[in-house]
Amino acid sequence: MESKTVIDIENISKIYEMGTQQVFALRDVSLKIGENEYVALMGPSGSGKSTLMNILGCLDTPTDGKYLFKDENVKEMTDNDLAEIRNREIGFVFQTFNLLPRANAVKNVELPLVYSGMSPSKREELAEQTLINVGLGDRMDHKPNELSGGQRQRVAIARALVTNPAIILADEPTGNLDTKTGDEIMILFNKLWQNGNTIILVTHEEEVAMHAKRIIRMRDGLIESDTENPHFKVK
Amino acid sequence: MNIFESVLMAFGSIREHKLRSFLILLSISIGVFAIFGAGTFVTAIDNTVQNEMSALGDNTFQIKRMPSIQMGRMSRRKYWRRPRINFKQVEELKQRVNLTPFISTSAEGGGEIIKSRYISSDPNVSLVGADDIYFVNYNYDLQDGRAISSADIEYKRNVAVVGTDVIKKIFPNLNVIGETITIKNQQFEIIGILKEKGAVLGNSQDNQVIIPINLYLKYYADWRLSLNVTIKASDKVNLDKTIDQTIGAMRIIRNLKPWEDNDFELETNDTISEQFSGLTSFLTVFGMLIGIFTLVAAGIGITNIMLITVKERTKEIGLRMAVGAKRKWILLQFIIETITICQVGGVIGILIGLLVVWIATIFTGMTLIIPIDWISISIIIATVLGLVSGFYPAYKASKLDPIEALRYE
Ligand SMILES: Nc1ncnc2c1ncn2[C@@H]1O[C@H](COP(=O)(O)OP(=O)(O)OP(=O)(O)O)[C@@H](O)[C@H]1O
Ligand SMILES: [Mg+2]
Repeated sequence: MESKTVIDIENISKIYEMGTQQVFALRDVSLKIGENEYVALMGPSGSGKSTLMNILGCLDTPTDGKYLFKDENVKEMTDNDLAEIRNREIGFVFQTFNLLPRANAVKNVELPLVYSGMSPSKREELAEQTLINVGLGDRMDHKPNELSGGQRQRVAIARALVTNPAIILADEPTGNLDTKTGDEIMILFNKLWQNGNTIILVTHEEEVAMHAKRIIRMRDGLIESDTENPHFKVK
Repeated sequence: MNIFESVLMAFGSIREHKLRSFLILLSISIGVFAIFGAGTFVTAIDNTVQNEMSALGDNTFQIKRMPSIQMGRMSRRKYWRRPRINFKQVEELKQRVNLTPFISTSAEGGGEIIKSRYISSDPNVSLVGADDIYFVNYNYDLQDGRAISSADIEYKRNVAVVGTDVIKKIFPNLNVIGETITIKNQQFEIIGILKEKGAVLGNSQDNQVIIPINLYLKYYADWRLSLNVTIKASDKVNLDKTIDQTIGAMRIIRNLKPWEDNDFELETNDTISEQFSGLTSFLTVFGMLIGIFTLVAAGIGITNIMLITVKERTKEIGLRMAVGAKRKWILLQFIIETITICQVGGVIGILIGLLVVWIATIFTGMTLIIPIDWISISIIIATVLGLVSGFYPAYKASKLDPIEALRYE
């Protein structure tokens, strides 16, 4: 793999103190992810997938270990630095979409740009363009409750894309969608990957994981396997 | 992310959370209304008093049995024991005070019915008994006819000088010199019409009838009446001397021993405005106390409502943090939101206050002055209140853990 490394974690662990008990959500996990990779993170419930994603997305910090994001040490960053990284370099897609219920599609997609200091007119233009790119050019003024589940997730993906981040992190993006709609979303991810985006997604479903180029399986806070997907094909 | 956008966002949020906004607006506007209303009303009273005093003239003072404004029960008892001022005492005072010829006396009764040969007025015309000097001392101008003269008093002529309001009510036109009016079976000939003056503190000066003081005492007064004496010094320099001479004369007339207090009241413009400032500062403090009390209650209420809001919007806050909102921006957003609501509430309170004051001025005949300073004070109060009561909820919001917040249901 010759591409530039975006994510480089070494011996990361995350320990939750529950009273006297310690919960090891992650134990000594090491992982490298390069530019324009397409990774599926799999594993049973409670194996630490979300915990790992949150750390990779700079929403959470590890108890131990080293995390270099684009060669910068995340551990030394302040809260404000982390907020800026999340704003510029990371796009989150959530299982439950997490859209602002009273804002229309454009306003929802604009949200990250609000915090990057872009002027309102530029923001709107960019948000509209991104919505067109995810196939929602005709739903700009719709509020989340006026959209189908798949359309909502597209809005959420547009919101993740709009800042042109280094990686897109999606935690079970198809978890709340039926199979057909889920497939459409996966086709969209595939397109994004072909356009050069770096994608990491968490999933329970083998079929979904089969869309990715690389599959990482976790169990009890450990990486069990990390393999190229033999069935991967460019659609 | 600038302040203007935060304010826009705040307005959006105000519209989205109607009940919450309504509760905050209500409490703030009541508090601001109390402070603003009291402040404005006091300003209006002050202004009216100023006008009234300038009508009296700078070199003029009054001798009365009791002060114009009394506050407290204790003082009232003291005043009630004072002897009344009767006509004989006034005559004697006129003899003894030689520094000025402008010593007038008057007495005023409650509402009387005035009849013309056409119709009767309502029983609300103030009947004034006065002498010739009274017209000089109070700067009364006539728009027709003449004032009461010393001869009218000497020969006990049944004559009257009438205000325009009265005439309009009981005569078809203002051509009334020589007409006869009847007040409680006594007939008077109209010899003059007072120039229109407008109202002071709710009393229309045009709704009065002035008759010779001795006739007033004979027909309309009983033993309880005490006369007012108005004295105009010849000039500013002589004012203090004239006051001293008057006090000395009154003490002799009243047979007061050197160690006894004056048993009459001397009022100048200054003492009247002092009395009024007692009343107005009481009103101010009263309004302020009510205002501060409601505002503190409102502040606590707002803090609680905003805490609930933060709780309800936990997920939104988590999302904003996930897409890159720094903690200080979350803090700012909620503070600005609270301040904005409070300011809107403040403006509503001011508008209600203006409306009430406006209505009050219509009923009392005072002049309405838009109190710029009270408007600014009210806005500042609302802003500070928003800042203070919004800070803690905003701080809590900014300290949320993004992951916990995102997971919140
Ligand atoms: N805030 C927390 N406090 C205590 N324990 C936690 C916390 N968050 C996660 N854990 C624990 O860490 C472990 C990993 O959790 P995580 O959410 O990463 O699992 P997951 O692989 O995403 O599971 P799922 O597939 O159900 O989403 C679990 O055992 C969980 O109980
Ligand atoms: Mg999970």
